[in-house]
Amino acid sequence: MRSHLLLSVARCLWTPRAIGLARRQRSGSAQLEELFARGGPLRTYLERQAGSESHLQVRGSELVAVAKLLSEKEQELLDTEHLLHDENEDLRKLAENEITSCQKEIAQLKHQIILLLVPSEETDENDLILEVTAGVGGQEAMLFTAEMFDMYQQYAAFKRWHFETLEYFPSEIGGLRHASASIGGSETYKHMKFEGGVHRVQRVPKTEKQGRIHTSTMTVAILPQPTEINLVINPKDLRIDTKRASGAGGQHVNTTDSAVRIVHLPTGVVSECQQERSQLKNREMAMKKLRAKLYSMHLEEETSKRYSARKIQIGTKGRSEKIRTYNFPQNRVTDHRINKSLYDLETFMQGEYLLDELVQSLKDYADYESLVEIISRKL
Amino acid sequence: MSLEPKQMPVQYILGEWDFQGLSLKMAPPVFIPRPETEELVEWVLEEVAQRPHAVGAQGGPLILEVGCGSGAISLSLLSQLPQSQVIAVDKGEAAICLTRENAQRLQLQDRIRIVPLDVTSEGSWAHLLPWGPMDLVVSNPPYVFHQDMEQLAPEILSYEDPAALDGGEKGMDIITHILALAPWLLKDSGSIFLEVDLRHPELIVCWLQSRPDLSLDLVAVRKDFYGRSRFLHIRRSGPQHGCPADALPGPQPARVPG
Repeated sequence: MRSHLLLSVARCLWTPRAIGLARRQRSGSAQLEELFARGGPLRTYLERQAGSESHLQVRGSELVAVAKLLSEKEQELLDTEHLLHDENEDLRKLAENEITSCQKEIAQLKHQIILLLVPSEETDENDLILEVTAGVGGQEAMLFTAEMFDMYQQYAAFKRWHFETLEYFPSEIGGLRHASASIGGSETYKHMKFEGGVHRVQRVPKTEKQGRIHTSTMTVAILPQPTEINLVINPKDLRIDTKRASGAGGQHVNTTDSAVRIVHLPTGVVSECQQERSQLKNREMAMKKLRAKLYSMHLEEETSKRYSARKIQIGTKGRSEKIRTYNFPQNRVTDHRINKSLYDLETFMQGEYLLDELVQSLKDYADYESLVEIISRKL
Repeated sequence: MSLEPKQMPVQYILGEWDFQGLSLKMAPPVFIPRPETEELVEWVLEEVAQRPHAVGAQGGPLILEVGCGSGAISLSLLSQLPQSQVIAVDKGEAAICLTRENAQRLQLQDRIRIVPLDVTSEGSWAHLLPWGPMDLVVSNPPYVFHQDMEQLAPEILSYEDPAALDGGEKGMDIITHILALAPWLLKDSGSIFLEVDLRHPELIVCWLQSRPDLSLDLVAVRKDFYGRSRFLHIRRSGPQHGCPADALPGPQPARVPG
């Protein structure tokens, strides 16, 4: 009898509708839910935390308190469950309502536990630089790159982020060889960090005369932008090259070439910008990119060990991974890291709800991997 | 040997160019703003931010630009200093027209007075007196040494107004006239910001020493982005002179132009 109840409760908890989470949180949270299974490693971990209270910091005691509350609510749920089979209809209705609100609270408590356990990245609040580069596939790859850049620009608008194009190198037929943009706003890096990698498109290219399907690729790189505190650069470490280097300069010369190249001498990292007419602006943009590059190198050292075992790779390790396929004939986009497919590719490429849903699923999976790591670390 | 018609500078072909984030109309023969001059504006903005000016009836600061050309310096200062007012002068008719046009384009015409004026001509400063003493004088004056003029690139010689470039024997002619304006037009502790040739800082220090009556001190020399000494900050430390008819105590210059 007891195991039957447990099963039905468990079934209720795993049914997306019964959980009552917001629609976007539903998808991709299955693995997270599994972690909370009774008797599982996460439960064991939480019980051990409760047992060793004397060693806990402030955050730890909050965790213990929430875990305790979760257990209590789950027990409450169990106790109310049997009322669902009562003869009295009013009692049954009452029980149903109780259970729904209980399940909502349980979901919130679990979410809180995840927030308390999963460490936030140093960079989660940072702005970022988005770089897109056409890969294999010639003109078709460049056309796809242009569409991807547009998609991200629309996603930024959808999330009410600031989007500023830093560079834009188009191809002859309206495609894009390479472009970069600075994106800023609330939790930009937290959302966009999963976009880094190789994106693959399968479709009949516009340039194709015989109607054959081609596979082309493009690469996305996401570089967190360091704040003033995150990264301090000594101006003496920089060499700035421009076209006006020779001669007396000033009134003596008129040139429209305002291209700027900055070399960070200690590391040899180079950053260039020739996008704007104003040399001042080019300098600013080149500095922005340089800072992002140096910061990403710094972060690499810190995170490479931590992320090595994961499916969702961030940083240069993830840069050559094929992360997603956009199959136009099948109207499907598949993310290979979580093996999730979404349909209605045209809507997806508009960079709104569908893309956001995929990003949320990736985020949930990344949290899951973080949690697994934390739990197994202590064992 | 006659000059072959050379490629017109791109800015004239396009009819416009950017300066400090503003898009300005360009038209020959009005001098095309150089990228270094953007840094002159940056420096002025930094200094203004650090020394809040005594706010008069119209806010501040009150700025005089000598040799406004296309209006680049004046208009970029106005657009980034919302309380400021500018008096812009130039001896070229085309420059006056172009500055007026750019001011209109940017809707800044209400805060700028554009006056045809040759600061090297005797008593020219008198025309500016009615607008009162200035907080700042800013200028990118013609500073090319006369002997260097013929070595300039053909596209410059063929299309830009030589009067906007030629600074005389040591490239100092207009500079010294601007500095000599100081007693009449610059407030006590007022500043002059100049863009100059890299040989000028030394020459100007010497010249200022020969003119103690001006009460001007060189406060700072700033290098441009290419490492050349390009900009000067000169400050006045004396009471502002009134009209010559006033009897003021203390030293007065024998003649206005130095």
